Amino acid sequence: MTAEPPSAPAARRTTLIARVERIFDHAADTRSLFLSLTGGKHLRFVPGQFISITIPLSNETRSRPYSIASDPEERGSFEICFNRVEGGHGVAWLFERQVGELLDFSGPFGAFTIDRAPAPQLCFIAEGTAIAPIRPMLKRALASSPSPKVELIYAAPDREHIFYAAEFDALARTAPGLSYETVIAPAEKIYDRLFDLAQARWVAGDTDRTRHFYICGVGKGVLRLRDLLRGAGYERRSVHYEQW
Amino acid sequence: MAKLRIQFENGDPEKVIEFDPAKAPFHHDGKPGSILDVMLGHGVHLEHACGGNCACTTCHVIVKQGFNKLGESSEQEEDLLDKAPGLTPTSRLGCQAVVDDPDAEIVVVVPRYTINQVSEAAEE
Repeated sequence: MTAEPPSAPAARRTTLIARVERIFDHAADTRSLFLSLTGGKHLRFVPGQFISITIPLSNETRSRPYSIASDPEERGSFEICFNRVEGGHGVAWLFERQVGELLDFSGPFGAFTIDRAPAPQLCFIAEGTAIAPIRPMLKRALASSPSPKVELIYAAPDREHIFYAAEFDALARTAPGLSYETVIAPAEKIYDRLFDLAQARWVAGDTDRTRHFYICGVGKGVLRLRDLLRGAGYERRSVHYEQW
Repeated sequence: MAKLRIQFENGDPEKVIEFDPAKAPFHHDGKPGSILDVMLGHGVHLEHACGGNCACTTCHVIVKQGFNKLGESSEQEEDLLDKAPGLTPTSRLGCQAVVDDPDAEIVVVVPRYTINQVSEAAEE
């Protein structure tokens, strides 16, 4: 019980309104919405941040986070990318949105970000739609001066779920510091494969412990990777991660 | 009954919640029985931009009393707190700090910086 009846809540966030400008289906279960702020303004964010979208559900609303998949420098609209998940009411609601509709959201939020490359060697690891925050982070890192050496390891259960594939292929051809590699494995084996790869390449196969890691994915596999790398001597603050 | 007293650094009126931890969850966001869960379930707002999933710091609170009565923090929570504005030795994420002692008396402050941070429109 409260000593006072519930009143206007403290610390309410400022809500912004975005219009759905465009819809793009990456796969049958994965979609991007391109959103623009009403009033012609531009959303200011740092690569890696997310917005919190207000989702109406029966007699209440909930806020759910969606990473921004586009670059802050892109004018006009910004992109969120998401996939259907079992019991995911927020995503189901987003899948019903049409071009021209308005969404309430707040943000951007999040500290899993990169403003410039923090070390000469960076490694990005993502799986499926968790590539969303990594995509602008990768490009921001590559634009840093001096240019870092960057590895992108992108895992999915099949080729269809490697999103932005053409873009990453093109980047790997044109960005001299970038090494891009995909890992295709059954969904339940993805983190085993990533763990083995990390163990072989950055733990057993290299004594350098100065590189920074940025890991994004779903479930406890992300924490297994974190623990492997930190346990192998990489500094805590050089192993960045976001677990969905 | 456990007691949670919430003070707001921006001067909003203090709230006091009495609750039975055994009846958690009180809401649907945050760990069951967490400060966030208790607050939301009793009509007191606390920001939680990531949905209470330990992926941001917007539910940062400073524990003024009863810090040792809260469940231990995880490495993930510690990593996030590391990036929280206004971090103190008794900072916790509201979504992760669970009250399970029925006799606990917890006092928390919602920092002004956190409130300001989530209230700024990020437009240009």
